[in-house]
Amino acid sequence: MGPVDTSACVHCGLCLPSCPTYLVTGDESESPRGRVVLLNQLWSALDAGGSGDPSAVRAVDSCLDCRACEEVCPAHVPVGHAVEAFRARTVQAGHRRLPLSARQAARYFGTERGLRRFQRLAGWSQRPSGRAALRASARVGGTLGAAALLGAGLPNMEGSRLAHEGVRFGGEGPRVALFYGCVMDSVYQATAAHAADLLRLSGYRVVAAPGQACCGALHTHVGDTGQARAWARRNVSSFEAAGAEWVAATAAGCGAALKEYGHLLEDDAARQFQATVRDAAELVRFGQRPPLPSRSQVVAVHDACHLAHAQGIRQEVRDLVRWAGYTLVEWPDADVCCGSAGLYNLTHPTMAEALQQRKVASLPVAADVVATSNPGCLLQIQAGLRRAGRPTPVAHWVDLVWEALQDEGLV
Amino acid sequence: MGLLSDLRRVVGPGAVRADAALLDAYAQDAYTLAAVRPLAVVWPGRADEVAAVVRVLAHHGVPLVARGGGTSLSGGATPVAGGVVVHLSRLNRILQVDPVAGVAEVEPGVVNTWVSRAAAAAGLTYRPDPSSQQACTIGGNIGENAGGPHCLRYGVTLNHILMADVVWADGRQSRVGSLSGEVEGLDALSLLVGSEGTLGLITRAWVRLEPMAEASATVLAVFGTVDEASETVSGVIAAGIVPAALEMMDRLAVSAVERGQYRVGYPADLGAVLLVEVDGLAEQVEEDAARVQAIAAQHGVTHIQRAASEAERTLWWANRKTAFGAMGLISRNYYVQDGVIPRSRLPEALRAIEEVGRRHTIRIANVFHAGDGNLHPLLLYDGRDAAHVERVQEAGHEVLDVCLRLGGTVTGEHGIGVEKRADLARQLTAQEMAFHRAVKDAFDPRALLNPGKIFL
Repeated sequence: MGPVDTSACVHCGLCLPSCPTYLVTGDESESPRGRVVLLNQLWSALDAGGSGDPSAVRAVDSCLDCRACEEVCPAHVPVGHAVEAFRARTVQAGHRRLPLSARQAARYFGTERGLRRFQRLAGWSQRPSGRAALRASARVGGTLGAAALLGAGLPNMEGSRLAHEGVRFGGEGPRVALFYGCVMDSVYQATAAHAADLLRLSGYRVVAAPGQACCGALHTHVGDTGQARAWARRNVSSFEAAGAEWVAATAAGCGAALKEYGHLLEDDAARQFQATVRDAAELVRFGQRPPLPSRSQVVAVHDACHLAHAQGIRQEVRDLVRWAGYTLVEWPDADVCCGSAGLYNLTHPTMAEALQQRKVASLPVAADVVATSNPGCLLQIQAGLRRAGRPTPVAHWVDLVWEALQDEGLV
Repeated sequence: MGLLSDLRRVVGPGAVRADAALLDAYAQDAYTLAAVRPLAVVWPGRADEVAAVVRVLAHHGVPLVARGGGTSLSGGATPVAGGVVVHLSRLNRILQVDPVAGVAEVEPGVVNTWVSRAAAAAGLTYRPDPSSQQACTIGGNIGENAGGPHCLRYGVTLNHILMADVVWADGRQSRVGSLSGEVEGLDALSLLVGSEGTLGLITRAWVRLEPMAEASATVLAVFGTVDEASETVSGVIAAGIVPAALEMMDRLAVSAVERGQYRVGYPADLGAVLLVEVDGLAEQVEEDAARVQAIAAQHGVTHIQRAASEAERTLWWANRKTAFGAMGLISRNYYVQDGVIPRSRLPEALRAIEEVGRRHTIRIANVFHAGDGNLHPLLLYDGRDAAHVERVQEAGHEVLDVCLRLGGTVTGEHGIGVEKRADLARQLTAQEMAFHRAVKDAFDPRALLNPGKIFL
């Protein structure tokens, strides 16, 4: 048996239709219930000194780690966590190498210098020379090719500042520090500053937490817990040093990872830190303020997996967007994964694309804007819409709410 | 040519899998006392591919089991040795919702709840609501003649299927039933409903949609003892009220669901909980809800509450409907029985079942459709302990003995599958069993469709 206990699974099958890979393939070996069976088989193989059946390993690896099954399971069987534990063990045991994309991510993420390099790379991918080079590699296939397809989802990469450099600190109330997140910080250059403004308006004092690193989520997903732990320790001490009463994340993936530091590091400091982490949607509150005047745009919310399934946050985002004056239209299957899933769209481009197409095809025609809460989803859905020839922009809800506040002269 | 290459030619190479390791994921459905690894799994994408697959399998003389959500509780979808699983998960389109006729045209792999979701905009709903409805499929619902809490008032799957396209054992196709409800000759559709995939494979179904009730009220009543709850059930029925649903859970069952995903916050020292839903015209609903509350009060209810919002109602139902899956939180495995007794014998039946559990030292939780006397004792066991597995099976059959002794039946809605073949033979006469065999022979003379299910 593996280190994550799945013995509460009684094979009821209620998880099947919640699983994006099962929805695409209809194959129970790529469903949560099937993966529990396969994981038991694989752990037995590992215990016996083997490396497990390759087709079973592939079926387990095709898990997006989206946590949708964990949310619907009557017995909370932690299938996503069990899959992560299996990946970690096989990496550790040397049965496999980390995916190329994970090794590359470690060069960019976690340091400010790396993020600037990542930002330049993203900018280059939008210039003619970069586009041509990526298109060439897309024809060959592989990680760079997938990155090229994804690059189509990037916002305009002009300017060379990291998002956190635009944050204005201060305000009155409990001390909150933003967790910037690598992709949010390097690609979505205004969101951090907007989030800080929303938090100040909600009655917080926004303080800096310098020295923070990558959250480690992507590395945990692919089994590189060593790297994830090193960053986690740095984050815990940075936010402690900042005297933050609350840690606010704007990336659902980061927030979910930070909320599991207690499990990752297994020490009291991490558990204390974990208890202070919130998604921005949990902290931003306009309480007594009357709703903003209605706006013409219709917004469809995509529930990021690591917000909806991992953190149980759905309504908060909708309430805030509606408060800001937008009209909401419900997106069928709003909480089914878009295929981004950390590095998944680089490691499993075919499945990721199938999910991207499903997601985009179900977007209601009435939607003028898509709102979501995670950089991977922002990129993936925007890229999918552009490929499908739909002009709909995709934005972080923080930016949408901030724009509405700005129009009213409130920020 | 070989079987697998013939199948691949029909459905494409990506739609056949025979990797031994992966097939372990198909060895069981939600009945975990049997496990059979199939020879292969095949995913047809259209009705004519289903027919072609059946022809290939018939040509090779290989048996098949159709599978949808794999949520059968009696082994209806457990593979057969040397057989192929024909997975219908890719036939999952809702082709049409006709609000005027009140009909939805769906493929068999469509999940039960998807139908009502698609019909909601038109104010319509698909009534049968097995507790696994978030995952079980229409094809499987037809195969098992699925029930559910609201079948008390609205009837079982049989009452909601108008017409179906079928692939027969030799691969030929035809349409049975009719949208008007009139049929010529014997009613083949009614025979197919509940035949557990042993007579034919449904590739498309036209199901009845009904208007949602104008109003409904859901009452949750907590009792100190199972007897008081049972008396309340009898009292409600005797008063002439036909609730939409009337469900009971006992203390052990509640202790599991309260650890699960959907916590209601029941008091810890309860003996039983009743969930009563009445629906209809607003005025009638108010009156019925008040009468239900008064009847519960006469029988010593300790806490009673009406759902204050749709969200609360949904939570109560989610708590009830995930009870089986939540058993994993208090036991390694569970074995659910599905017997029916006359409603008036409820307290007696529950006492006798408790006695069966005591004799075999098996913990038994009860979650059931009290309104129609359909019991679901959940026998808790540890599948790693062979002696325990043997005891739990014995206890299961004794539970059914109790039902038969009290004038009931050996199954309400979960089917016979592999689990209850012996129990069915005990309930039916030799002549009735012969009728079963003759029907099976007429439809499937070579015994290729889900052989070994229902009877040996």
